[in-house]
Amino acid sequence: MAPPTADPREGSALSFRFKSFRARILTFVLGLLLVLQGVTLLAVNEANVRNAREHVDATLAITAEAFQGTLRAREGILLEKAELLSGDFAFKEAVATGDQATLLSALENHRARVGAAVMMLVAMDGPPLVRADTLLPDVAGRLVSFPHLVSAAERSDYGVASSIEFLGGRSYQLVVTPLFMPDPMAWIVIGFTIDDSMAAELQESTGTHVSLLRHGEEGGWLPFASTLPEAERESLAGRISYDLEEADRSVAIDLAGTTFLTWVAPVGAVGETSVATVLQRSLDEALEPYLRLRAFLLVFFGAGVAVSVLGGFLLAGRVTRPVAVLVEGAERIEGGDYTQPVLVEQEDELGLLADSFNRMTRGLAERDRVRNLLGKVVSPAVAEELLSKEIELGGEERVVSVLFSDVRNFTSISERMRPQELLAMLNTYLTRVSAIVEEHEGVVDKYIGDAVMALFGAPLGHPDDALRAVRTAMGMVACLDEVNAELGLEGDLRLGMGVGVSTGTVVAGNMGSISRLNYTVIGDSVNVASRLEGLTKRYGVGVVVGASTRNACPDLRFRELDRVRVKGRKEPLAIFEPLGEEGAIEVAVAEEAARWEEALARFRSRDWDAADTLLAELAAEHPDCLVYPLYRERVAHFRAEPPPPEWDGTTTYEEK
Amino acid sequence: MLRIAFSGALAILLASAASADLTVTVRNGSGSPVADAVVYLADGGGRSSTQTNIDQIDKEYVPYVTAVQKGTKINFPNHDRIRHHVYSFSEAKTFEIPLYKGTPAEPILFDKPGVVVLGCNIHDWMKAYVFVADTPHFAVTDSSGTARIAGASGGQVSVWHPRMAGQAPAKAASGGSVDLVIEEKRTWRPRRAPSAGGATYR
Repeated sequence: MAPPTADPREGSALSFRFKSFRARILTFVLGLLLVLQGVTLLAVNEANVRNAREHVDATLAITAEAFQGTLRAREGILLEKAELLSGDFAFKEAVATGDQATLLSALENHRARVGAAVMMLVAMDGPPLVRADTLLPDVAGRLVSFPHLVSAAERSDYGVASSIEFLGGRSYQLVVTPLFMPDPMAWIVIGFTIDDSMAAELQESTGTHVSLLRHGEEGGWLPFASTLPEAERESLAGRISYDLEEADRSVAIDLAGTTFLTWVAPVGAVGETSVATVLQRSLDEALEPYLRLRAFLLVFFGAGVAVSVLGGFLLAGRVTRPVAVLVEGAERIEGGDYTQPVLVEQEDELGLLADSFNRMTRGLAERDRVRNLLGKVVSPAVAEELLSKEIELGGEERVVSVLFSDVRNFTSISERMRPQELLAMLNTYLTRVSAIVEEHEGVVDKYIGDAVMALFGAPLGHPDDALRAVRTAMGMVACLDEVNAELGLEGDLRLGMGVGVSTGTVVAGNMGSISRLNYTVIGDSVNVASRLEGLTKRYGVGVVVGASTRNACPDLRFRELDRVRVKGRKEPLAIFEPLGEEGAIEVAVAEEAARWEEALARFRSRDWDAADTLLAELAAEHPDCLVYPLYRERVAHFRAEPPPPEWDGTTTYEEK
Repeated sequence: MLRIAFSGALAILLASAASADLTVTVRNGSGSPVADAVVYLADGGGRSSTQTNIDQIDKEYVPYVTAVQKGTKINFPNHDRIRHHVYSFSEAKTFEIPLYKGTPAEPILFDKPGVVVLGCNIHDWMKAYVFVADTPHFAVTDSSGTARIAGASGGQVSVWHPRMAGQAPAKAASGGSVDLVIEEKRTWRPRRAPSAGGATYR
């Protein structure tokens, strides 16, 4: 099973890959910051909103208590004032008179004295005591207005009860207590108005909106005293339900566009009417300190992000900019430009890298110069061979085709030219022929004056090295006309050329001393090639190859020139002249070659007359070919002085 | 004075002991004996010229309920060190004895049958009842709810009590005794002011 990172598709599927280091750093820094800050903000937000709500709930609960307390306190005050009247002897006397006007006047007097909104007196058992009401002074003797209030008082220990009552569109907090004469004879009712100003008083001390609602007969809750503005007050009516009373926590309610945290506390049910207190604080006001904190946190967060982005950008830049410079430098080096060092003025690891990069560049430039020079001094292939391997003396056996070329009449030409002209001429010539060698992927082994030694098969071999060598040789000879034209050489100054090619096993390798050496080949073929080159002018042909070379080139047509025994070799060697590509030979040339082969066969079978006849015809037809006159001379020689019986047609050359 | 009132009642009791006495027991709806109930026979007529007292002791009237025959004079001796202001707004007798100490010079004549509620102007909780009967045959129940009407052996017996709800119908007595049941109503009285610092102003 492959390790997880071995499969790149898996990696790219699991994680998004960044192309840029800077993007990665920024993403990391920003991501970290966003996560941390986001969690902090959320936590703070959560805690603050919860705290704000809890704080508001606590405040509202306390305010609800305070409001209930206020109602109880007012009740106490009312009771006190009612009891004062109940104990007033003069009032009892007035009651005892049974005079309605007097009674009403006395009640009015006491009401004004204690600052109450309403006072009433109702008989317990009907007449003879009359009912008197400061709110309805003209009405006498009617039934009790608030039967449930009175019956609550009748049920209580001390004949005392209180309630909130609605009368004539206004609401009152009423207290009832008996009038003792000294038996309880009548009920004294006293009341304060419950109105907006009372709610406003509470709001002033608590900062909370206070509304009192009654559960009307229609089923809905109607506010009858409130600190809310008219619009909110109207919309409050439909938003309160019995459920809210039991919530024991505040509920957010939207009233005319403002959100209020709302606390509903029952005041109690009096008779058929339930009354509830609604305490409210604006959510926005409650959250205001928190919103300020959050605004500050957001600004802080934004600044943090900005600073982080900037910091990350700069920090990443400290890495990516030198890297970009180094990449540029590497690209310059790839393009072969070693002149410009990379400039990274940092004293960190990247600075060290840049320094080391520059040193590497200098090293590479040095090596490249050496390699360049080597490629010029030796052939590029040889230079490559030398650079690619450990340099050591010694070599390997290889089958190589060795090519030798020489300018035929160079000595006589050089005598008639100035040295500078000569060198220029030679360079032009050598450049041209070297190009042909390289064109056929041969290797120029060395220049020896005007002579060129080229190798096919070392250091790198091809299967058709012999063919390449012969084609190179023919190409070299063929290019001479162009070279002469280019150099403006005419007549006797025209360059002639001879090329010898021999194929055989040689040793290829480094020769010399370990401090100074050449890559070259050594072997019989080298000498043979040199000798064959020397034979070209004797036979008047451009190229002479040995039998092994010819045998390795089935694609080419050759004609045999001779069988020779050259200096330093005992074995006779058949030598051939390449005529051209098989199948592309002109008919005339092929015919000439056939007649020549016939003549050569007659010559070798000592049929001098037949040979001479054929040779004479050929010489007449081809006056510039030196082979035919050469053989006619031999025929003449052998007629006069017949060869020994062991003669096999071999010509022995003593000179080079 | 308490003893005088008791001995007066005892004298009546003893005087008629020889003849037949009518024993009346008053109970409330739950069967408990009711004290301070006035029981009387329906026969009217006659006047008394006797005199009795309702004392004021420790800022309370004693006794709480007094039954007298029409024409009886009642004096209100004040045994406390402070003054009292006796009043009544009752129809049977509306009167007032403004703040005084000791025993007023003149007793008050109760010559109209009915219930007279007495109060004290300066002590809201002080209360006493005078039942002015139009008959010589009446009595007030004791703590066992029993009263003896002297010198009578039968007749229609009526009852009155300060907390009685409505009017109970008269009941014929036979065999020298009768049981009456009354409905008590809820009522309230002013709370008695506590003595400031335990000081006594009696």
